[in-house]
Amino acid sequence: MSKPFLTLYCLIIYAFLLAPIAVVVIASFNSGAFLTFPPQGYSFRWYVVFFNNEVFMRAIRTSLGIAAITMVISGIIGTMAAMFYVSHAGRLKETVRIAMLAPLLLPEVLTAIALLFFVYSVGIGTQTMFGMVVGHVLITLPFMFINVSASMESYDPSWSMAAQSLGAGRFTRFRRIMLPLIKPGVIGGCLFAFIISFDVFTISFLLKGVGMSTLPIQLFDYLRTNFTPEAAAVSTCSIVLTMAVVVISEKVLGLRIHRF
Amino acid sequence: MNAAPAKKGLGPLLLIAPAAVLIGVFLVLPYLNIVVMSFRMPGQGTPYAPGFTFGNYGKFFADSFYIMQVVNTLWIGFLTTFLCLVLGYPVAWQLARGNSAFRALGYALVLSPLLVGIVIRSYGWTILLGNNGIINRTLSSWGVIDGPLPLMYNALGIIIALVHVFLPFMILPIMSAIQGIDPSLELAARSLGASKLTAFRRITLPLSLPGMQAGCILVFVLSLSAYVTPSLIGGLRVKTMAVTVVDALIDTFQWPFGSAMALMLSVTGAVVVIIFGRLTVMKWKA
Repeated sequence: MSKPFLTLYCLIIYAFLLAPIAVVVIASFNSGAFLTFPPQGYSFRWYVVFFNNEVFMRAIRTSLGIAAITMVISGIIGTMAAMFYVSHAGRLKETVRIAMLAPLLLPEVLTAIALLFFVYSVGIGTQTMFGMVVGHVLITLPFMFINVSASMESYDPSWSMAAQSLGAGRFTRFRRIMLPLIKPGVIGGCLFAFIISFDVFTISFLLKGVGMSTLPIQLFDYLRTNFTPEAAAVSTCSIVLTMAVVVISEKVLGLRIHRF
Repeated sequence: MNAAPAKKGLGPLLLIAPAAVLIGVFLVLPYLNIVVMSFRMPGQGTPYAPGFTFGNYGKFFADSFYIMQVVNTLWIGFLTTFLCLVLGYPVAWQLARGNSAFRALGYALVLSPLLVGIVIRSYGWTILLGNNGIINRTLSSWGVIDGPLPLMYNALGIIIALVHVFLPFMILPIMSAIQGIDPSLELAARSLGASKLTAFRRITLPLSLPGMQAGCILVFVLSLSAYVTPSLIGGLRVKTMAVTVVDALIDTFQWPFGSAMALMLSVTGAVVVIIFGRLTVMKWKA
């Protein structure tokens, strides 16, 4: 393939990748009652409808709350696991890595089904947020682990030993040596865990209790029966929120988030 | 004097304990529980009843409807994987080897769809593919078609949307495989008189096989287990196995039968992946 042809081909694929997202964003500014293209006119009409729709507003609050809880729990568990993996795992290193990445490698729908049966079998049920939060923590844990362990790649255990020989206790060693090293990985991992939790669908769908719809679930339910551009306004706000988190962390905080 | 080895106490184990408990109790046990569930008795008004049976598997094999659905789901998975491979390879090559200024932008463009929720991406496709969607409207306003093309509520629509959703998962592993190939190998081939095409066919392509293999397995497994996209694009008319399973669990509470279906799909998928892995490794060595 010649160079210009290849470039053109790639541009077409990039357009294909962006098309459905761009279409949703454009549709959200439609001033008409239906999703017509090109839009009959442009307005913020559907954003006003969306912001006054208590069902969607409650769903956003639920999503943000669960994402925040997930981020904290996953952040703590994932960071601890990554520290173990890097400096203590020894022969178990490969086993630990595979176990930590397992939630990412297993099909999400199967994990969701498995958790649904399990919370019922042990009597927890889905009356509380417990099942859903566990699911979210599981699904975000690999990203926490990848980010924190990547930030420790340059870690040399002899630094910690040097500090120990100079009289530093375990906690001081963690605070003065380990923490500054892993801080970017922890923050990046947490932000990414937040986004994943905010967007995850299947786990929430199967493990939600009554009246605990997250934003993606509410949107999915809405789309099965409605065709107004309100859904596009909801989607656009969700896209802007996740993109904002990524842009802020990568451009402003200068973090490099590992997604794989 | 030897450097004192880190004290082997319970301390380090405490670091991994929460993750180990989480994965052991809430991932390993629940997966084993699916197998148990698939042998339970179907319940009346409850998800399942006491006692065990092979009946759920009997029901699955007795009805060709379910077998056909597995076949259809596998077929959709094959086509999605094949299209992702063919469409994605040139992009992966460009991202790995192209020296244009587009590279960083291209990388961002490939990754950014992954940050948008799956419901939203599938919703975008319903706007594009629907009978009154953008594609049909545009084509009919140009006078190319008389009636709307059937792009949604069929396998074609599902495949188009799945290719979109999973393309990045094909591009990224191939890209890193190509990045790992020493460019001087290709230069050496060229200096020995191989044409550009021959150098690519004999050097780059075979060396990028592991990336292609990883991408194919990833996309295939993701396509088989996709729920949101087939459900929104296929509607009630075309259902993949994952959609049937989830509906059986949520709408009709047939947990034991749903588990049997989920396991049959998983086993079939795993067999295909293993055969594919074997075949591609043999080809790679040959």
